[in-house]
Amino acid sequence: MIAGGRWTAFRRWLDERLGFEAVLGFMRRKTVPKSGHTVWMYTGSAILIFFAIQVVTGVILAFYYRPTLEEANASVARIVTDVPLGWVVRSIHSWSATFMITFVFIHLVGIWLLKSYRKPRELTWMSGVLLLFCSLFFGFTGYLLPWDALSLSATKVGTDIPRAVPVVGDFVTKLLRGGDDVSGETLSRFFSIHVSVLPLALLAVLALHVFLIQKLGMSLPLEAEVKKKRLPEIPFWPNFVYREAIVWLVLFGALLSVAVFLPPGLGAAADLRAPAPEGIKPEWYFLFLFQTLKIFPPKIWFLQGETVAVLAILAGVLFFFFIPLIDNKPASRKGKVLTAVAWLFIVYALAMSAWSLAGPKPAAEAAGAAHELAAGPQSAGERTGIYVFLAWTWATIVFLVFVMRVKVREVDALHAVGYFREKNGPAKE
Amino acid sequence: MKLKTSLYSRRKFLNGLLAGGLGSLVASLLYPLLRSVIPPYKEPDEVRLPGADFNGLEPGDVRPFAWDIKPGFIKKNSDGTFTAFVGVCTHLDCNVSYVPAEKKFFCACHDGWYDADGRNIAGPPPTPLRRLTVVAEGAELVIRKETPA
Repeated sequence: MIAGGRWTAFRRWLDERLGFEAVLGFMRRKTVPKSGHTVWMYTGSAILIFFAIQVVTGVILAFYYRPTLEEANASVARIVTDVPLGWVVRSIHSWSATFMITFVFIHLVGIWLLKSYRKPRELTWMSGVLLLFCSLFFGFTGYLLPWDALSLSATKVGTDIPRAVPVVGDFVTKLLRGGDDVSGETLSRFFSIHVSVLPLALLAVLALHVFLIQKLGMSLPLEAEVKKKRLPEIPFWPNFVYREAIVWLVLFGALLSVAVFLPPGLGAAADLRAPAPEGIKPEWYFLFLFQTLKIFPPKIWFLQGETVAVLAILAGVLFFFFIPLIDNKPASRKGKVLTAVAWLFIVYALAMSAWSLAGPKPAAEAAGAAHELAAGPQSAGERTGIYVFLAWTWATIVFLVFVMRVKVREVDALHAVGYFREKNGPAKE
Repeated sequence: MKLKTSLYSRRKFLNGLLAGGLGSLVASLLYPLLRSVIPPYKEPDEVRLPGADFNGLEPGDVRPFAWDIKPGFIKKNSDGTFTAFVGVCTHLDCNVSYVPAEKKFFCACHDGWYDADGRNIAGPPPTPLRRLTVVAEGAELVIRKETPA
């Protein structure tokens, strides 16, 4: 055991300098309540997985992408047709964004309806709302970068919306666009925001979010807290992590499969002076806002409809951010009313999105693939290779999931006989 | 009553100076930062187009032109004069198209409609299309920003 001895010595050497044993000990004693609501607790780490995938694929894409009026569309075309496996990397980046936003919404809805934001977790919720804005802004800025007709129109509309806000609105629009109009300046700064501002902002807020989650521990369901019921708990490490890892693996396999079989195409380069294509739509997660703006009349009483709509959206956002402070008596009647409001909003967003989807399809799709650059394997070798790779990945995932399930049973049995408590000391509290 | 000692200590005063100094430094950095994030852009005062391109227009016909980086439309009126519009929707800034069959301008983003004179007639647009002045100067059509009346 000489190697083991050296390893132990090295660990001790590091720990004297970093003090990480305190953190590891904390993680070992951390517990997760086990109930019907535990499934919501898998959603946060799924978002992290997709974010990590975004970082890796985004760095590769940024190697080839050029954020200028002349080259943007062509450089994306090059990624899709020329760069080895570039179409898969772009497809994963695009789909992972969709998966990430989906899980952000699931995470948010779960926490909203379970009221996990209640005291003392108000700041965890607020930092989470900031992370939501970062994610949506990531999606919005990334959508422009391929620089085709759809992305141009979506950006024109999206960056014009702040203008309706009194006092600061005009400046915000100019700041986003790099001038009065969407132009090459907008493209360059969206790229800068997408690859440097937002990652830094998101990581900073994420650090606070994750710290607060560790500091405050997992929230108990409201009814358990009210009735002072003690829920069974499992150790975070390793019992919960093994369970989470199964979810990660399956989600990763699903993402890879969708990305290989449904790679996004690329429209022709945007023309600043061309009319907006018919049936334009933003990314799916903005559809409910888009449809809301569409149905607002030009004048309401003596105010511009657009201004009213934008101010209403702004008020909604503020309400959303401050929910933990507004919903301060979650078990009371007021709390129940606010739950009903949450459900109303969810139904509204779903209905508006469905309505928007039922409308006319983008002209590019209707007119056939004339201007659309279809993505896919560039050679027979690449085609075979990617399918073999996908099959291999799934085989590995199935194998790993099987082993993880065995491990879950093993560590649950160990937990039941109190093995971890003896090894790591009692759980906190 | 006269106090023997000041309620405001030297320490508090210094802290105030320090915070105030740092605060004004940060605040004065804000202006150049915000100033530098918006590049200069000036809309052209005028665009000159060869008049020959528009001689063949029948009254009521509409033809696009480039108003710098924005689309523009020139319409020939029944009295032989021209009217020009900036082809940008007044709702949320999308570029509009002219639909000759209906003699209307259409914005696809949120289903906005304008008549051939640029008046907003249906959908969310709050105001008419922006107008430009058209003057024939020799063989050229000169399109200028409309001077506010």
